[in-house]
Amino acid sequence: MRHLIYAAALIATPAVAGVEEAVNDYILPHLAAFTEAAEVLDDAAQESCEAEGLVGPYNAAFDGWMAVADVRLGPSEQGALSLSFWPDKRGFTERTLADLISNKDPVVEDQAAFEEISIAARGFFALERMLYDSQFNDYAEGDYACTLVRALTRDVVDQATALQAQWNDFAPLLLDPGSAGNTTYLDEAEAQRAIYTQILSALEFTKDTRLGRPLGEVARARPTRAEAWRSGRSLTQSVLATEAAVGLAEALADWELPETRAALDAVREQAETITDPSFQNIGDLMKRLDVEILQQKIDAVENAVEVEVGTRYGITPGFNSSDGD
Amino acid sequence: MKNASGRSAGPPFFVSDWNHSKFPITLLGHSLTYPTKSISYSAKHQNYEVTKGTDMMKRATLTAAGLILGTVPAFAATKGEVLTTYADIAHAGYEDSLTTAQALNDAVEALIASPSEDTLAAARAAWVAAREPYQQTEVYRFGNPIVDDWEGKVNAWPLDEGLIDYVDESYGGATDENPFAAVNVIANPQLTIAGQEVDASSITPELIADTLNEADGIESNVARGYHAIEFLLWGQDLNGTDAGAGDRPYSDFAQGDDCTNGNCDRRVDYLEASMDLLISDLEEMVAAWGQGGEAREAVMANEDAGIIAILTGMGSLSYGEQAGERMRLGLMLNDPEEEHDCFSDNTHRSHYNDGLGVQNVYLGSYTRVDGTVVEGPSLSDLVAEANADLDAEMKEKLDTTMTAMTAISDAAENGMAVDQMLAPGNEEGEKLMMDAIDGLIDQTATIERIVADLGLEAIEFEGSDSLDNPNAVFQ
Repeated sequence: MRHLIYAAALIATPAVAGVEEAVNDYILPHLAAFTEAAEVLDDAAQESCEAEGLVGPYNAAFDGWMAVADVRLGPSEQGALSLSFWPDKRGFTERTLADLISNKDPVVEDQAAFEEISIAARGFFALERMLYDSQFNDYAEGDYACTLVRALTRDVVDQATALQAQWNDFAPLLLDPGSAGNTTYLDEAEAQRAIYTQILSALEFTKDTRLGRPLGEVARARPTRAEAWRSGRSLTQSVLATEAAVGLAEALADWELPETRAALDAVREQAETITDPSFQNIGDLMKRLDVEILQQKIDAVENAVEVEVGTRYGITPGFNSSDGD
Repeated sequence: MKNASGRSAGPPFFVSDWNHSKFPITLLGHSLTYPTKSISYSAKHQNYEVTKGTDMMKRATLTAAGLILGTVPAFAATKGEVLTTYADIAHAGYEDSLTTAQALNDAVEALIASPSEDTLAAARAAWVAAREPYQQTEVYRFGNPIVDDWEGKVNAWPLDEGLIDYVDESYGGATDENPFAAVNVIANPQLTIAGQEVDASSITPELIADTLNEADGIESNVARGYHAIEFLLWGQDLNGTDAGAGDRPYSDFAQGDDCTNGNCDRRVDYLEASMDLLISDLEEMVAAWGQGGEAREAVMANEDAGIIAILTGMGSLSYGEQAGERMRLGLMLNDPEEEHDCFSDNTHRSHYNDGLGVQNVYLGSYTRVDGTVVEGPSLSDLVAEANADLDAEMKEKLDTTMTAMTAISDAAENGMAVDQMLAPGNEEGEKLMMDAIDGLIDQTATIERIVADLGLEAIEFEGSDSLDNPNAVFQ
């Protein structure tokens, strides 16, 4: 497990810039775009709940979410969990959905009550089961499952809208550190470190968890531990997460990031070599190697960000939400 | 449960003693420094309770005066001294964990020799007592690889308990993640795990350690440690988010015709073998933190790295592990098994003692199970020298967290266990949990500030000692 690295020197910080760009040019617009994509998905679901027709808008909305999914800051610290609860190490999503369906739980008729149910049965991973898992996706108009899918897409829109509103309230704390009453960020360096921490944690999470979990050990790959494998999104998730981290890094830096850019290009190039985007073939050593190389390429992005952003600003990452087990 | 806990450091004793105000000047100092609500309890107060000497009074008064002025540090601490205190507290904490585990072993032997309501209750009480010091050591995990690599053997969680013994029908069987979730070793002398035939005809520490624990590399195959023993003593908690803990009958350990639920002899073997493992594992960690032990040596090897280890442990436990994984996730999943001590309903004490452990290492003071105090120059002293305001902020936030933890613990002991707090719609329970979560997150921000603050100093000193003048380190 990799822990915080504080060994680098903390040098006097120059007049801090970049936080405004990171918030106003990256985070807030991507949250808005995600809300729009979520609305398209919900509109489609309210019109017809059937799985086949929702695959397109589902993937578009999930893509939109991935632009901000790993920013676990402020309202997203909790808000992200109910949109994308993963990894699900103890099978909560399957069990909770199965319980809702077998009990025909009326909670699906009431959006306010739906917001109170277990996060395992909300958001993109619950929807993935409903749309892709043969145990769940064989339903028709009028079935309980159809109403459940509509409750799920409506809930994603409600969450997206709420998150956007909460971010509008939270953003001033990042943008105006040290102002009266702002005990969250006392100075510009703290605001900067907060965003920088998200960038590095996203890259680490992608490398160690999104890719590391399915890779398992050489003799024992775990393809069904891949993120969103049922929808064939595993590779996409890792690429989008890396692109999002780089996008945020570029916003945070007031200068070009040539090495980071080159490292991202190498990630995309390596992604092209991977033949099964759901990683279900990684039991084959050659296929496994392709994913391991992808992991190394993401590691190179992290190193480049550390050099081009962290060292130049003189900041090191703080604690992140995946520091535990 | 309450009077059976055997704890010596719980808040009620100290709060009442404290309110009798043996040290009015100190009390005055604290009341000026902290909001009144956070006076209720803090690790510092334990010092005053057990060290009644005049010197301590002086020190306490000085400390309080320092807090009032915001400028006078209690100690002029060096990093080496701070690390010595840190290692000493670790050693004492693991030693207390070991002695209380040995007491648990005695109680388990008594249960096995003569199963009854009383001997089972005594064993459960001994388990609860053994958890008190152990949970306070969790703050050592994340900063120290030696501890982190080892702790999975004693405190892994959550577990698929159906691997070990019989479970209720509602538990289900194998899962996507774990084909062995319901293997039931106690009932099955012959097993197949990941294509391998396993001879489990004799349940030994070796079988548990080498074959069953993390079988097939699956984390939730927890076959050893406190929580495996907890499951054997309590059984499943089938009350969901309603009141009540696990309710295993004592006759599950009875021999012959009195045996309930079958295979009592194998259940006894399992319990004994897992106790043997727990004790030998704890012995290993006591040695690691003793004089010359590898964990102590590692933390002392580089002073700046050692201080960073302290802060990393405090921050990672507070934020990612406790606030996130253990508390918030359980709340958001509304799942009663997403609590740390789900069989015994002792989770409130685990949360409390985790928080207390963080406070202990910051203040450089640990109250042992026998009431004596291990203390010395602390990280707090070091921070205060550089930035008294920051030290005051850290202490205040640790106090706020402990106030919230105390509220959870009190609520649980008054009938609302943590699994009940997780129930959908329990707003009071959610508030209790969220206050503690917010406190933990808030204190992590200050830990980051300390890292930044001390970081500057550290680099400056290290630069002059080891880089600019390589000989200096040998002087």
